[in-house]
Amino acid sequence: MAYLITKENIKNLLTDLIKLKAVFAPKKDAEDTVLFGKLSSSSEWHGDALLTHTTAKDKVYLQSETFFKIKRNKSGVTIEDGPEPEETVIFGCRPCDARGFDIIGKLFNWSNFVDEYYTKRIAKTTIICISCEKPESTCFCTSFTKGSPVNETGSDVLLTNIKDGKYLAESITDKGRKLIGDNSKYFTEASKADEEAKVTFKAEAEKKIAKKLDLAEVKRKLEPAFESVYWDTVHLPCVKCGACTFVCPTCYCFDITEKAFDNINSVRVRSWDTCMNELFTRMAGGVNPRTDTKKRFRQRFMHKFNYHVDNFKEELCTGCGRCIKACPVSIDIRKVIEEIR
Amino acid sequence: MAENIYKPHLAKVVEVKVETVDIKSYKFELLDPGVRKTFSWKAGQFLILDIFGVGETIFTFANPQTRNEFIECSIRKVGQVTEAIHELEAGAIVGIRGPYGNWFPFDKWQGKNLLYIAGGVGLAALRSPIEFALDTFKDFKKKTILYGARSPLDICYKDRFSDWEKVPDTEIILTADKGAEGWKHKVGFVPTVLKEVHLSPADSVAIICGPPIMIKFVLKELLDLGFTPEQIVTTLEMRMKCGLGKCGRCNVKNIYICKDGPVFTYAQLKELPDEY
Repeated sequence: MAYLITKENIKNLLTDLIKLKAVFAPKKDAEDTVLFGKLSSSSEWHGDALLTHTTAKDKVYLQSETFFKIKRNKSGVTIEDGPEPEETVIFGCRPCDARGFDIIGKLFNWSNFVDEYYTKRIAKTTIICISCEKPESTCFCTSFTKGSPVNETGSDVLLTNIKDGKYLAESITDKGRKLIGDNSKYFTEASKADEEAKVTFKAEAEKKIAKKLDLAEVKRKLEPAFESVYWDTVHLPCVKCGACTFVCPTCYCFDITEKAFDNINSVRVRSWDTCMNELFTRMAGGVNPRTDTKKRFRQRFMHKFNYHVDNFKEELCTGCGRCIKACPVSIDIRKVIEEIR
Repeated sequence: MAENIYKPHLAKVVEVKVETVDIKSYKFELLDPGVRKTFSWKAGQFLILDIFGVGETIFTFANPQTRNEFIECSIRKVGQVTEAIHELEAGAIVGIRGPYGNWFPFDKWQGKNLLYIAGGVGLAALRSPIEFALDTFKDFKKKTILYGARSPLDICYKDRFSDWEKVPDTEIILTADKGAEGWKHKVGFVPTVLKEVHLSPADSVAIICGPPIMIKFVLKELLDLGFTPEQIVTTLEMRMKCGLGKCGRCNVKNIYICKDGPVFTYAQLKELPDEY
């Protein structure tokens, strides 16, 4: 079922949601950088930017998550669970970001091992996504089977700006239907013509995405390319900063550590980690299967476009292009995978 | 909701035993009687040991499912967590989660000769499949254990050998890289000794664990002796954090050592790139 909502009513909706839930949306921080920040007023929503510098990934998959608190004393050890996650709304992310949640959600539920930290938080999060009117030169979402500037995968509600100030609102999931139902006063029923306007919107937006990769061909080329001399040189500009993995909506690798405050209290923490770091695979005693940048660089591309496809039948990438923008030495993920030999 | 996959069960250190200058063996008992009853594993699987205030590390179960009164691990001091473990005394509370990974496919090895080849602390990973085979010895033919360490002082599980040898059709061959006074066993590296004793591949499985360099040369010797890649089994070690195929660091190709391993045949390993 599709509805219409005006930009003004979007702000009213945000005002109402802010009273009930934690609402995260693109917002300028103190340095004028647009990031997903917690809104205290609907006027803080900065909807003009296409992509925030970082994704909304950290609102569900926390950059640093306390698993539990540990207390050691004379009577033994007690493990205390952290608080339950709060009701959250992610507003104004893009289809590439929303699809990122769908992709890493499968990993966190892989082979019957359910990661309850991710699962509980995503269950309490409603994702209101906005279709991309003006994709950037770094965008390449249409290279993916499910990718498009209007794709709904991972979203609960998808908004598409079909005419000046009017958005087509589609509820994708039960959470989305509930959100629209609970706030029905801001929505009107969409007409057939409105729904058709989305088709035009899609065609126009997709036209702006110049680069379309043949990812099946990339996979075919990657499979036998582990020992290729290609990796000997392609990694050379890389400075191993890991920014690419930090801004990625699908990079999920993590570390688990213990933070001790004193001899009694400590917390078990899960933090984002990066395969670009030398310590990532180094064992106590010093043995490391991925000692040099070449091996780590190769792992990143192999994982995203070969290994992950073997395990999950989809790439570990949504084509948001953030890694291209974040890279200090201008390594372009599209170019790296396209030129594999 | 199912139990939290990252949360350990509490366990108590029941016994600490010094094996060598840098290896100690531990017996742990799970505190919750209900958990104790349901917690089970198979030889080859591993657990994550949690030293509260320090962190977690992976160890293989040193004892098999046939000797499951306690959970046992033999641990070499190499890093931050293992140093903290070596400080533990009986009575200390630790956390244990697991079991993780696959196991040695003993059901496929019925009626076969078993050749165990271990180097250094690698014997800790083979103790559970060795003792499992000894406890169910009627299912197998000859059991040969070839074990080497740097020096006679570095030999682990010395006091278990006499019990092992009492089991019918069991032979232990010990070697030290460098001998010492009173050392009555062989001197030399494991691969060299393997060549000397010249074991037949007929109806046999070789199970190996040790430092990468030993594995490399043992593989070569076994192939020379006529073992096929399917007859050679090893257990891999990689850095791991979750044990559940999620933290992303123990993969070789699309295989996660924690989830799909750690036990592999050489036939399987040959298909994987050299990144372990």
